[in-house]
Amino acid sequence: MLASSRKVLILTAAFMLASAAALAQSTTITFRFNDTEAEVKGAIDEFQRQNPDIKVDLQRIGWRDARNQFLREAAVGQGPDVVHSAQVWVREMGDAGATLALDGLLQQSPPPNGFADFVAQDLAKGGAGKIFGLPWTTDTWAMVYRNDLLQAAGITTLPQTWTELRQVSADIFKKTGKAGFGFPAGSSASGAIWFLATSYWWSNGKALIVAKADGSYDIGLTAEDIADCMTYFKSFIDGGDNPKANLGASDAHDPAILQALVAGNQAIGSMPPNTYKQVLEAYAATNPGKPLPFVSGPFPKGSVTRSSNIGGRMLVINAHSKHPEAAWKFVKYMTSEEVFSKYYRTQFPAQRSLLKKVDFGPELRGFAEQLEYARSWGAYASGPVPIGTLWNLAGRAFGTALSGQRSPQDAAKELLQEVRKLMPQKG
Amino acid sequence: MRSRLFIFAMLAPSFALLVLFYAYPIVQNFSMSLTDLSLLGMSRGGNWVGLENYREILRSGDFGHILFNTLVWLTLTSVAIRLGLGLAIAVLLNSTALKRLRMQTIARLGLLIPWATPPIVAVVIWRWLLDPHGVVNKALVGIGIIDQPVAFFANVRTVWPAIVTIMVWNTVPLIALSLLSSLQTVPEELYEAAELEGANQWQVFRYITLPFLMPAILVLGLMSVFWSFNNFVYVWLATGAGPGTLTNVLATEVYIKAFIDFRLGYSSAIGIVMALVMAVFGAVYLRLVARRQLEQSL
Repeated sequence: MLASSRKVLILTAAFMLASAAALAQSTTITFRFNDTEAEVKGAIDEFQRQNPDIKVDLQRIGWRDARNQFLREAAVGQGPDVVHSAQVWVREMGDAGATLALDGLLQQSPPPNGFADFVAQDLAKGGAGKIFGLPWTTDTWAMVYRNDLLQAAGITTLPQTWTELRQVSADIFKKTGKAGFGFPAGSSASGAIWFLATSYWWSNGKALIVAKADGSYDIGLTAEDIADCMTYFKSFIDGGDNPKANLGASDAHDPAILQALVAGNQAIGSMPPNTYKQVLEAYAATNPGKPLPFVSGPFPKGSVTRSSNIGGRMLVINAHSKHPEAAWKFVKYMTSEEVFSKYYRTQFPAQRSLLKKVDFGPELRGFAEQLEYARSWGAYASGPVPIGTLWNLAGRAFGTALSGQRSPQDAAKELLQEVRKLMPQKG
Repeated sequence: MRSRLFIFAMLAPSFALLVLFYAYPIVQNFSMSLTDLSLLGMSRGGNWVGLENYREILRSGDFGHILFNTLVWLTLTSVAIRLGLGLAIAVLLNSTALKRLRMQTIARLGLLIPWATPPIVAVVIWRWLLDPHGVVNKALVGIGIIDQPVAFFANVRTVWPAIVTIMVWNTVPLIALSLLSSLQTVPEELYEAAELEGANQWQVFRYITLPFLMPAILVLGLMSVFWSFNNFVYVWLATGAGPGTLTNVLATEVYIKAFIDFRLGYSSAIGIVMALVMAVFGAVYLRLVARRQLEQSL
């Protein structure tokens, strides 16, 4: 009895020592991701299988708080090792010392086709030319339509201009009682109205921030331009074809908007491709066997062109990470072809070589078409005002106008004043 | 001398805690408010700007609107409703009718549920209840009070009442239960004497119950004002200070300026302004209102 007890004790001690040794050798890194966990879990599991000495703890946070939360943490030397970041945040994060410069790691252990294969390289670099992020996904927004509701309203072609979009939306509401163009009209700091307004201005050949020939920057819009845009989007709410409840929705993936599209209570939306895929999946799950009544199309044309931003995400490494090599290994894996072909299929890769292999399929054709018109943030990103600040100011200003708190003219003047305060004063 | 040293030694730890957790942060906050410190430039530090942040606050076109929201909607309205409703609930819980029905215990336990609910959960519950497709709208349309559902959190006329509803629902139990315990200290003989004198219910309440409750009401009122004035959670979670900037209050403005615009110096100045407003209010309240009431009730 005593002998067998002793054996159990010895085995237990040996097991505990072995576990402790294994733990001591393994590295744990934290990855903060801002979309749904299911999108990347498979990739993370596979990475851990291929790298048994590296454990990845997945954290989730909403886009609304992602930038501010990470900057607060990095300011005091904390935060996750790898962070999912909007492309346009990387420069300011790098210049603030929150993220690690990747030049050394890129040289030591480059991705398979090198850094040159990636899009949005300019946004990955800080003021001094150092690289602070690895572009991970790229996308652009497009319009999505419920075919069945368009047909019910007697509409046979997709609207091509902003004016046509307004008319089609109003007609759908009048003839079917369903919402027409239901867009998020909320005013949070990272709200979707920013993308719609930007597309509107760019399509009319204008921009909030412009780069001048002498290398300086200026505001490229007048108060009338801004008020005109606010009045346009407000007309959807005043007309009832964008429900007033959407003043409380700030994100393209707000459940109220997605549910309205899935349930057939809304005919038109505007969103990035991963959100659209969620809509398609949700519809298929609730209507098994039925054909998908959705089609996508490019953004409406303004007086000059159609336009939208080339968006996307990057992966950045926390400047205070204790495991930068392990973090870099993970970052490189997540940008690999294996991840995009097998696991992370809701997004398009940010590498030209991989983007050529993407099969958009019939429902996503509109996104493929829109990509041809998509442009980079340009002066917005390279200019003196952090793009996150412009985004916040515009969101709030549009919110005051769309909710009726202020007239579009007053809201526009105030937005211009606020942006002007942040621009370098002319000497 | 020895007794003085002893007293000093006994007080020193508490004093040290006060300095560490109150005085030091206040001084640090004040010194930050005199700089242009940015969250993106913490390692560089901020440049001295003197009182420029304070001047900007006072010159800001939004300051009046934000102060109005904070004082009128967030503080005065919610505190008044909370005190009134809390008093009514306390009187009801102490009533003989409830005693006769043997429902006192269950009523008191039921009252704890909103109090025990974390604010974030309270906001989520009420956002669901007040959703255009929610139960409240269905009921109002069904009864015929409204023709179309109302987007309570997106409508400029209903958003503040909606936020105040959540605050009151979540916090009125504390007021009610505190006043209930005060009610139970009122001597029964006074009620008996009043009955013998032929006093009606309102007179009993006005001349006996209310004076006894006044010290508790004053303290709860003061605490509620401090707590409401500085409140961030309900507004931020319910509306994010929107639509637009309609429900922006001082606490959410501190957050926006510090963590969205990264202007730590400026947001620190707003914090100092908030502290000064509350300090002045507290001093005036205690000196003029509370002292007089307490003397009268004693």
